[in-house]
Amino acid sequence: MDRNQLVKWLQAPAKMAHKYSLHAVYFCTGCGIIEVPPTITARWDAERFGVIPTATPRHANLFLITGYVSLKTLRAIIRTYEQMPEPKFSVGFGSCPINGGMYYDSYNTIKHLDRYMPIDGYIAGCMPRPEAIFVAVTHLWTLIDKDMADGYKRYRRYYAQYRANQERVLGRLEWPPLFPAGGDA
Amino acid sequence: MTHSLKARLDSVFKDIETEAGRDGRLTVIATAESVVPVLRFLKEAGHDYLQLVSCVDWIDRGEIEIVYVLSSYLRTGGEAEDDPAEIVLKTRLPRSAPSLPTSIHVFPAAEPYEREMHELYGVRFEGHPRLTPLFLEREYEIPPFRKDFDTRQYVKDLFGSVPPVGEKS
Repeated sequence: MDRNQLVKWLQAPAKMAHKYSLHAVYFCTGCGIIEVPPTITARWDAERFGVIPTATPRHANLFLITGYVSLKTLRAIIRTYEQMPEPKFSVGFGSCPINGGMYYDSYNTIKHLDRYMPIDGYIAGCMPRPEAIFVAVTHLWTLIDKDMADGYKRYRRYYAQYRANQERVLGRLEWPPLFPAGGDA
Repeated sequence: MTHSLKARLDSVFKDIETEAGRDGRLTVIATAESVVPVLRFLKEAGHDYLQLVSCVDWIDRGEIEIVYVLSSYLRTGGEAEDDPAEIVLKTRLPRSAPSLPTSIHVFPAAEPYEREMHELYGVRFEGHPRLTPLFLEREYEIPPFRKDFDTRQYVKDLFGSVPPVGEKS
């Protein structure tokens, strides 16, 4: 353990524990998932950074959205994200979740993912290299340290807005609201 | 001597046009009513592999063209003139109300293709047991793969109208 971080460990042990055990949802969206197998296996070995894929979203706290998001995938992504326990961090991977990327004029691909669910950070590129995932992970550590990776809090706070946007593109959602109180509309 | 497949097709079906290509490909242009009999005839003649069913929107001619590509599992074909490697069966439908009898009782593999064409081009397949949504999540006024579907305007109207989330200023 890094002795320089001892104070941080004593001040906020839960935060430090979350920081160094990022369990990623193994959710394959679009082409970016091609980069994930070499990242988590021996070649780049994401476990050095505490990132490990999990079998189910209920055990995960990191959601990598790897590529373009079609409407059908958006429905699955929202269900997956809502099942993850808090605190949870979501990272958009590649150009497409940022603004649609090369699918900017596609009738069936959403353009700005952060209008439907909160995103803590983006990795730009088409495709980003596996090293970019580690840069993103170290940035995420900094954000967690500074309490700026607060996507799950924003999701609670603006849930009514997020839900309205989701229903706007997907029509009726077949699951009840996650936070019935609603938050700020 | 057996007659070539082209000659047999021409003698059996009166309302089709056939054209033998140089690359071992036989093109058949059929009417909407004769598509299923021609498919059945070709299947019995040994061309039992439906490679794909495709759809082309000829907006200038006001036609939707359905293209069936057939080949054989066992024979590679192409060597002799009467043994085409691929058969391309085309039919043209009016663009305003395209409708065609289903061919899934001849080729069961046509089912997902027909569902896809129904969803993306608005072609109605009479007798298909389930023309339910396959890929799309939304209802579209114009089927989205037709040429007159303006994707940019659609994106602007739908996704451009979704507001950003956060503090309202």
